[in-house]
Amino acid sequence: MTIEKILIIDDSPIARKIIKSCIPKDKEYDVSEAQNGKEGLEKFKENQPDVTFLDLTMPVMGGVECLEAILKFSKRAKVVVVTADVQIKSISKVTEIGAFRVIKKPPSKEGLQKVLMDIQNNPGE
Amino acid sequence: MKADHSSALSTEQKEILQEVMNIAFGKASADLADIIDIYVALSVPNILIMPASKVKNYIENEVKDYGIIDIVKQQYWGEFKGIAFLIFSSGAGKKLISLFQKNENLSFDSEPIDAMEKETLVEVGNILIGACVGKLAELLGDILTYSPPVAMIEQKPADSISKNTFDLNCTAIILKTVFRFENEDVCGNLFLTTSNKSIHWLKKALNKILDEYE
Repeated sequence: MTIEKILIIDDSPIARKIIKSCIPKDKEYDVSEAQNGKEGLEKFKENQPDVTFLDLTMPVMGGVECLEAILKFSKRAKVVVVTADVQIKSISKVTEIGAFRVIKKPPSKEGLQKVLMDIQNNPGE
Repeated sequence: MKADHSSALSTEQKEILQEVMNIAFGKASADLADIIDIYVALSVPNILIMPASKVKNYIENEVKDYGIIDIVKQQYWGEFKGIAFLIFSSGAGKKLISLFQKNENLSFDSEPIDAMEKETLVEVGNILIGACVGKLAELLGDILTYSPPVAMIEQKPADSISKNTFDLNCTAIILKTVFRFENEDVCGNLFLTTSNKSIHWLKKALNKILDEYE
C-alpha cells in the first residue's frame, strides 16, 4: 500500500513536531494534526489518513477511546500508538483493541520509519 | 537578591519540559508496575513557574481535597537540582502494603503498622521519584545524586512542607503530574521543584533537545 496521508494526534505540540521530524523526507506526505482524541477522530473521518500516530494520555478524549472510535469507523485503519505510557497493561490493551504497533516516546527516526515500511509491506496485518 | 524573572522559560521550552516529564513519569509508572501488580492511570503533566515564596501554598492548595496526606520527599542534585514531593491521600501506604506483600518485595515481619506504611511509601517513592527524576535527567543530559527518600504519614498539608524548604528569593519551576492507582482507589501527585539556579542550564538542555528534531 502507498502511504500518502498521515494524521498525528497528540496534545503536545512538541511531540507532534518530533513525530513530524521522524517522517522520511523521501517524498511529500500530506500531514495533518490534532491536539486531542475528539479532534483527532473528526480529522480521521474527514481526511481518512493512511496512517495515524496516536498518543494515549490526552485531555478531552484520551487515546484509548479515540483508538476504539477510529477502528469502529474504519476496521482497516492503521493506528500507531506513540506513547510515554509503557506499562505492559497499557501496551496490551491498545494492541488488543487493534493498534498496528506501539512506539515508545520519544520516537526515533529509525523506529518510526520501520513502522511505515511495515505498513507499506504488510497492509493486511 | 531579587529573583531573575526574565530567565523564565519560553512557551516552547515549557512544552518540551512537559513532554520530557510525560516520558519520565511514564517510565516511572512502568517501573512500578513491573515490581508490583498495579496499573497507574496517567494524566497530562503541568509546568508552572512562580516565585519560590508561593510554592508551599501552591502545593498545599493542590492537595487540599485530600485533607490529611501521606508524603514522600527526596532531594536531588545535579545541574538540575531540587526537591520531589510525592503526595497521596492519607491511608495510601496501608492500601499499598498488601501489594508489596503479595509480591514479596518487602519483608515487614512483625513491624508496627505505621512503620510498615512508611516503609511502603519510601519504596514507592524511591521507585516513582527515582525513575522519573532519573529519566528526566537522562533526557536532559544530566547526572544526579539523591538524598534518601523520607516518608511522613497522616500529615496536615500545611505542616508537611517547611517554610524554609525553598530559597524565597528564587523563582521556582514546578513539574506536576497527577496519577491514580487503578483498582486501589489511591490518587497521588508528584511535584518536582527546581529553582532559577538551574534555569540557565535547563534552557540549554531543552534547546538541545529541540535542535535534535529541527
